[in-house]
Amino acid sequence: MGMSVALDIEARQAAAVKVAEEQALVRKAQAGDRLAFEALVRRFDREVLRLALNLVHRPEDARDIYQESFLRVYKNLHRFRFECSFYTWLYRIVTNVALDHLRRRTSRREDQAPVPEDAEGGTRDFFDRQPEQRAGANPERNLLGQELGEQIACALNRLSPRERMVFEMKHYQGLKLRAIGDMLGTSEETVKNSLFRATRKLRASLESMR
Amino acid sequence: MRDAGMEETKSPACEEFEPQLVLFAAGELDASEVADLNEHLQHCPGCNLALAQEQEMLALLASRHTEPDAALLASCRAGLEDSLDQQEERSWLRRTIGALLPSSWISPRPAWSAALLVLIGFSVGMLGPRLLRNSVGKGGTNSSVASNNPAEAVSGIQSADPASASSPSAGLSSLDMRTASVAGINVFPAEDNQPPQVQLQLNARQPYTVRGTVNDDDVKQTLMYILHNNQRFDPDVRLDAVDLLRTRNNDPDVRSALCKAVHTDHNAAVRLKALEALNGAEPQDIIRQTLLDALVDDQNPGVRVEAINALRDMAAKGQVDADDHLLAVLRERMAKDPSTYIRLQSAEVIRDLGPRQKF
Repeated sequence: MGMSVALDIEARQAAAVKVAEEQALVRKAQAGDRLAFEALVRRFDREVLRLALNLVHRPEDARDIYQESFLRVYKNLHRFRFECSFYTWLYRIVTNVALDHLRRRTSRREDQAPVPEDAEGGTRDFFDRQPEQRAGANPERNLLGQELGEQIACALNRLSPRERMVFEMKHYQGLKLRAIGDMLGTSEETVKNSLFRATRKLRASLESMR
Repeated sequence: MRDAGMEETKSPACEEFEPQLVLFAAGELDASEVADLNEHLQHCPGCNLALAQEQEMLALLASRHTEPDAALLASCRAGLEDSLDQQEERSWLRRTIGALLPSSWISPRPAWSAALLVLIGFSVGMLGPRLLRNSVGKGGTNSSVASNNPAEAVSGIQSADPASASSPSAGLSSLDMRTASVAGINVFPAEDNQPPQVQLQLNARQPYTVRGTVNDDDVKQTLMYILHNNQRFDPDVRLDAVDLLRTRNNDPDVRSALCKAVHTDHNAAVRLKALEALNGAEPQDIIRQTLLDALVDDQNPGVRVEAINALRDMAAKGQVDADDHLLAVLRERMAKDPSTYIRLQSAEVIRDLGPRQKF
């Protein structure tokens, strides 16, 4: 018990130090310190890229989201007033950029540039191009894995951009619904409803796999 | 993934617990809600199955979730650095200008900005006219003073005719003479052969007074402006202007203005006075031509008489060359002018020029 309290205090102290460091970096970056800005980027960019990649599934699109998000952060950093955490502020920008991207893609899906083709001439999503780790060298499992990837991609594509975003942030970025609401500029209740709808749609889409 | 849970028969969850199952799987239930759900799960196979399916679906999706590889991350970072470099190069000028724009400091501090703007507006309103007046006063000539008073103030002139010689002086630029009228010209004689003091009272949007001697540029420009724009001013004013400019008839600008008055003023008295004002000026082609034009073209005999008198005077002093044009004009006047005096004087001038001219 005593050990756990000590660890808790230690963790809180470490978090406080981290926040103080982050604020110092933000202030330096606001003053025009490019190195401080790059340090801030490196603190968060892996998570940003992961979010983008799993939302759009195409590395080139993920790179666009990454680039546009951090450029917006750079241009608007002087407007950040420490009224929320830098992380929340950053994610507001990132989610806006990503949602715009998803909406644009949804609206032009029909005339979208084709993704690279596989040997049979069919187009393959990013999921499909990833090596199927668990399948090993078994061709049958490879085929199953590929089918599975296609079905999941199809199921995810049926979600609206906002549902997709909420689902991704909740389950794969590990964020609380309230934090997601802050980042998306909406209430926790609305986020909750988006999560319910996303879950329902995914469940229905993946029903056939059962 | 077609494992146990997926293969089981679909068993619908209780409707009221369905959201709780989603939130439980998402880790969003608090301790009491979790306890309630657990209690329900102990005797509800449908919700148990639904929860298992929910968790299995999440695991399935998670299995396809991917982490960005190092190469992609490195490429993103490199791309961002390039973009930042370009951004900095492009925007340094924009930032510099932006910092000077009011919006950059007004929006973050609206209350202070509003107060500052009010203060600036008040200061400009109070001090601006005084500073302007002082600077204009300094920009003019040393002894001329322009005022709109009673209170001493500054005036300026803008010529209605840009091509005219009477371009506005820098010190008088604030008064738009296009709308001004001359209320009066007062002349105060000076002692010791000094040029008289002149006071020009102008009515524009507010009254102005230009003071000084005719040697002062502001006074000279104003008087010349009056002659150049004769249709806008009373003959008395024009006569006074000519009279005052007479003492500067060797100034090329003044000479030109007087010649123009001889040619264009619609009042014979002004034309006559302008001819008189040219008397004694350094002989120049422009003066000789003006006299000849007046002799030939002016409808007023008095003006023509003054012109022939001036020519005779110049001829007597040897100040005109007896060229063919001059002699032709004189012969024509000698033969045709309705005035006997002019015909006789034309003959006299020809005779004066005689020793230097073969007829």
